[in-house]
Amino acid sequence: MQMKLGIGAMATAAFLLLIAIPFWVSSPSNVPNIVLSPLFWPNILAVLTGFTGAGLLFMSLRQPRAKQPVHSDVDDKLAAFSRLGVLAVIMGVTLYAMPRLGLVWTAMLVFASVAFLIRTNHPKTALICAVALPLFLYLFFAHVAGVAIPQGHYVRLP
Amino acid sequence: MSFVDSIVAGLSLVGNAESFLALFVGVAIGVVAGAIPGLSATMAVALTLPFTFSMTPITGILLLLGVYKGGIFGGSIPAILIKTPGTPASSATILDGYPLAEKGQAGKALGMALWASCTADLISNLSLILFAGWLASFALSFGPPEFFALILFSLTIIAGVSGDSLLRGTLSAMLGLLLATIGLDLIYGTNRFTFGNPNMMGGLNFIAVLIGLFAIPEIIGMVWNPKAHDGKTRSLGDNWVKFQDYKDSFRSIVRGSFIGVFLGSIPGIGAAPAAFLSYSEARRKSKNKDNFGKGEIEGVAAAEAGNNGVAGATLIPLLALGIPGDVITAIILGAFMIHGLQPGPMMFIMNVDIIYGLFIGLIVSSVFLFFIGSIAIKGFKYVADIPRGVLFPGVMVLCVYGVYAVNNNLFDVGVMFAMGWVGFLMLRFNVPTAPFLIAFILGPLLEDNFRQSMLMSGSSPLILFRGPITWFFWGLTCITVVAIARAGIRATQKGLEA
Repeated sequence: MQMKLGIGAMATAAFLLLIAIPFWVSSPSNVPNIVLSPLFWPNILAVLTGFTGAGLLFMSLRQPRAKQPVHSDVDDKLAAFSRLGVLAVIMGVTLYAMPRLGLVWTAMLVFASVAFLIRTNHPKTALICAVALPLFLYLFFAHVAGVAIPQGHYVRLP
Repeated sequence: MSFVDSIVAGLSLVGNAESFLALFVGVAIGVVAGAIPGLSATMAVALTLPFTFSMTPITGILLLLGVYKGGIFGGSIPAILIKTPGTPASSATILDGYPLAEKGQAGKALGMALWASCTADLISNLSLILFAGWLASFALSFGPPEFFALILFSLTIIAGVSGDSLLRGTLSAMLGLLLATIGLDLIYGTNRFTFGNPNMMGGLNFIAVLIGLFAIPEIIGMVWNPKAHDGKTRSLGDNWVKFQDYKDSFRSIVRGSFIGVFLGSIPGIGAAPAAFLSYSEARRKSKNKDNFGKGEIEGVAAAEAGNNGVAGATLIPLLALGIPGDVITAIILGAFMIHGLQPGPMMFIMNVDIIYGLFIGLIVSSVFLFFIGSIAIKGFKYVADIPRGVLFPGVMVLCVYGVYAVNNNLFDVGVMFAMGWVGFLMLRFNVPTAPFLIAFILGPLLEDNFRQSMLMSGSSPLILFRGPITWFFWGLTCITVVAIARAGIRATQKGLEA
């Protein structure tokens, strides 16, 4: 695990130094000194990230392999990864649906789908909460805190 | 302004029903959230933060402080009853709390946990009042080089002690610092990693990053393994704590409180090491040392005194220097900023009424904690029975509403989800999240103070070593790095030998 982290950190550092900083950090041409340039700080951090990655890699090579922690907290890894995939889809759909359906209706769907995903033992309670909680939060944020909650194109709440 | 004037100014600010109600509700929320395995004081404070937007600064911050105080005690309830610490700080409480529960003395253990917590909380709050002002007046002489050295030291110690490896902590802090560079440059106003997106020009929203990092990974973890956090609740038993038990453990409680105050005032150490150190000191000095680990009431008292002693003390660097001592105080720092306040030495001059209002509120919170804790101990069964399949979807909805409410911006919700996955990966790879968040908050300050120093000195790095204060912090940084690296090398050598 430490080796993967080290390689990941070094790859991140290389990506930052070779691609991200040259292309996505702009600096004026008349900067009097390199230490005052907007490029200086990201470059320093990228180099230090690379060194940290190298350190992690070095430590992992010194560590006996059998001693490295192994996570085996789920019985069926395929099912666990599938659930994570579905959760990622739920998050993506949430971002897509919020401006169209409105926050309240989207939140109801999010609640119900997450409860279904983690196989709740209390489906009726979950269904009641899926309706009640977003409505309660809407009342608080819209009418007490004065937040403009998105209402969507279809059913608008008072 | 004299001390009495400051107290009167603070009283005039918090001497109303709204402030005390916020504090009371905060403690109640904290105790309940801390008592629910899977939730934590950190998550409770993060989720409560959006509800403070519509409040006055002092009311909102008192609410959050109440949640913090309540959450730390609340964590001891499941630690004793179901051997699952509600917060990491309560891990040491399990050592003697759970054996007492197995003997049918859970009520006695919980009662002692409450008494020790309230005593330590009071000692910690008084220490805060005594030391924060003194430290702030000292910090008034700090310039950019001193602040740079101080922040660097804070980040080093936070990265070093937050996880089980200095390198992992450093990686976490580096990623936080890198994320903090997103947005317009502080001096020239040019784009850094904004990808032409106007939403990113002001940098990533702190609340979105915070909630994404600390609440969403718990939900993802629940989806990954829905059977987690199952535990069997024990009955309280008929045996309740007596004043004689408290008197017998009083030395350990006071010692633990001061250990908590000392460790809490150093950024990054946190409550869990304080609880374990207090516990081991109590065992070393106790007449009943053989009974420790088998159900010794003094062990529960020492562990709880250690972790609650930290709660007030972590506010010392926050209020006096503007440096958060742990993740929860980092969230509270965010709350200050949202309400237009900047903790640090100047706050003791500009907003002395708020500072003393907070002090008064903190003292009162110890009293509230005693009453609410007494009720929570008896009502734990109902709290523990909240089905996880209903609780976690609710947390998800709360996160979405809370983050959206900050700026009325859908982009922030996307940032929260993305940070949730980052947090989950960090959890899986044993990379501590605390250095990431604290580096994300302190990153702009670190860079700003560095560049200001360079501007002051005409780009000469010698200014970073200009006087005794900077030497002091550079010395501490070196000592910390050497000490943590040596401990790491020793652990690796032990592993190789074994």
